Amino acid sequence: MHHIEVTINGVLRRAEVPPETTLLSALRDSWGLTGSKLGCDVGDCGACTVLVDGLSVNACLLLAVQADGREVVTIEGLSGFEYLHPLQAAFERLSSYQCGFCAPGMIISAKALLDENPAPTELEIREALAGNLCRCTGYTKVVDAITEVCRDHANAVGVEESA
Amino acid sequence: MKRPGRGIACMWYPIGFTVAANPSSAVVKVNEDGTATLLTGTVEVGQGSLTVLGQIAAQELGISADDVHVVSADTDTTPMDTGAIASRTTFVTGNAVRLAAAEAKSILFEVASEMLGVETEELEAADHKIRSKTFPDKQVALAEVAVRAQIVRGRPPLGSASFNPPTVAMDPETGQGKPFATYVYATQIAEVEVDDETGEVEVLRICAAHDSGTTINPALAEGQIEGGIAMGIGMALEEEILFDAEGGQVNPNLTNYLIPTSLDMPKIEVDIVQSYDPVGPFGAKGVGEPTLVPTMPAILNAIYDAVGVRIADLPATAEKILMAIKEKERAEVKQLGSA
Repeated sequence: MHHIEVTINGVLRRAEVPPETTLLSALRDSWGLTGSKLGCDVGDCGACTVLVDGLSVNACLLLAVQADGREVVTIEGLSGFEYLHPLQAAFERLSSYQCGFCAPGMIISAKALLDENPAPTELEIREALAGNLCRCTGYTKVVDAITEVCRDHANAVGVEESA
Repeated sequence: MKRPGRGIACMWYPIGFTVAANPSSAVVKVNEDGTATLLTGTVEVGQGSLTVLGQIAAQELGISADDVHVVSADTDTTPMDTGAIASRTTFVTGNAVRLAAAEAKSILFEVASEMLGVETEELEAADHKIRSKTFPDKQVALAEVAVRAQIVRGRPPLGSASFNPPTVAMDPETGQGKPFATYVYATQIAEVEVDDETGEVEVLRICAAHDSGTTINPALAEGQIEGGIAMGIGMALEEEILFDAEGGQVNPNLTNYLIPTSLDMPKIEVDIVQSYDPVGPFGAKGVGEPTLVPTMPAILNAIYDAVGVRIADLPATAEKILMAIKEKERAEVKQLGSA
């Protein structure tokens, strides 16, 4: 067993895990954070995408011990009881979710992109989502939602600058 | 060289099959606070049917969709439903929901009729109220009627109903009948580029016009159409289950059974063509399966338009297209030689 300490959504969490435990099972089983989904478990579908030190990774491919001492952000870290992250709000507003199973990973991938590049082109958005498979939506409304968040952000920045 | 091509395909699709009985049932109860609870056996698998069913109940009761709590897919507690199959949920389950809500509403109308001194036929439910159609100022809050129905009249406002699509049996002599309750129609146009040196196809754009009756939730219908087109593109160009000699699947992973990613999906333009079905709930028909039916033939027609080869064996992989182009070129050379 290994003792690990991971900062998850700003909170330091500890667990004792066998060495083969993935970060995804630690999140879901040790810490009860079931927002990150177990889809393929081999890094193909992206439903388990989380941020580790700001980079989007498949939590099913990272061992929990590799996350020891790092900062992890999951879908649960984006919203609270009173508010939604702008990406979540846009996904909801534009009906970008259908079954919703891919959505936590999609939103984390989109956040990783926007943290890096707040004004991506449509191709850059599609490239950022290429590791997140979706069988319901055809990605159209997902791309629309992310585009809308970028536009709102650009408008807000424009207002700040002109003020 | 990349060669552009356009293809078009049309389809019709039957909704509400009747090969066997095809019933759905629903229970609607109106609560003391003017909200409602809907029990349905159908399953939500990402198509948005529970939202649509909640909207149907809300429309019938004159309340908002947010006020309908939908309880679904639990064989211990929810009433029977044939299933989330055959593009039937909006049409068949939707009708059961509408009838159940109407039954609950009729109890509310009887009670409101006494409260307002207005005949039940003269009443309508709208905006969380029950009111006179002619004199809308004669109104009472739906919640108030619900409470009175329960604690004064002893008639809790609830309804249960089932719906089995109406049909006419096929005549064995003439082959005539009405095997399905209704039909939906669609046309899709695909714009592609085919590389005639590699056989690779890139789908650049798909335009889709779908008649689904009167659409209850246009955003969800659009989403289903876009998703169906994604499945259709996968089926047309890349998706194939491969078996070995023993019947085992050779490509059981998403790395070798490829489905379209965000990069494979082209621009999709959806046009929802409104019509009215007299049997469907509020004129609606269905969306599900028909969404991907025209996608494959439209793409295959576009490939033919681009490079002049007909692919009749899906998926139309680059290898198959390149072989067909080579064969066509050989046949043309042969013809020239003999001439």
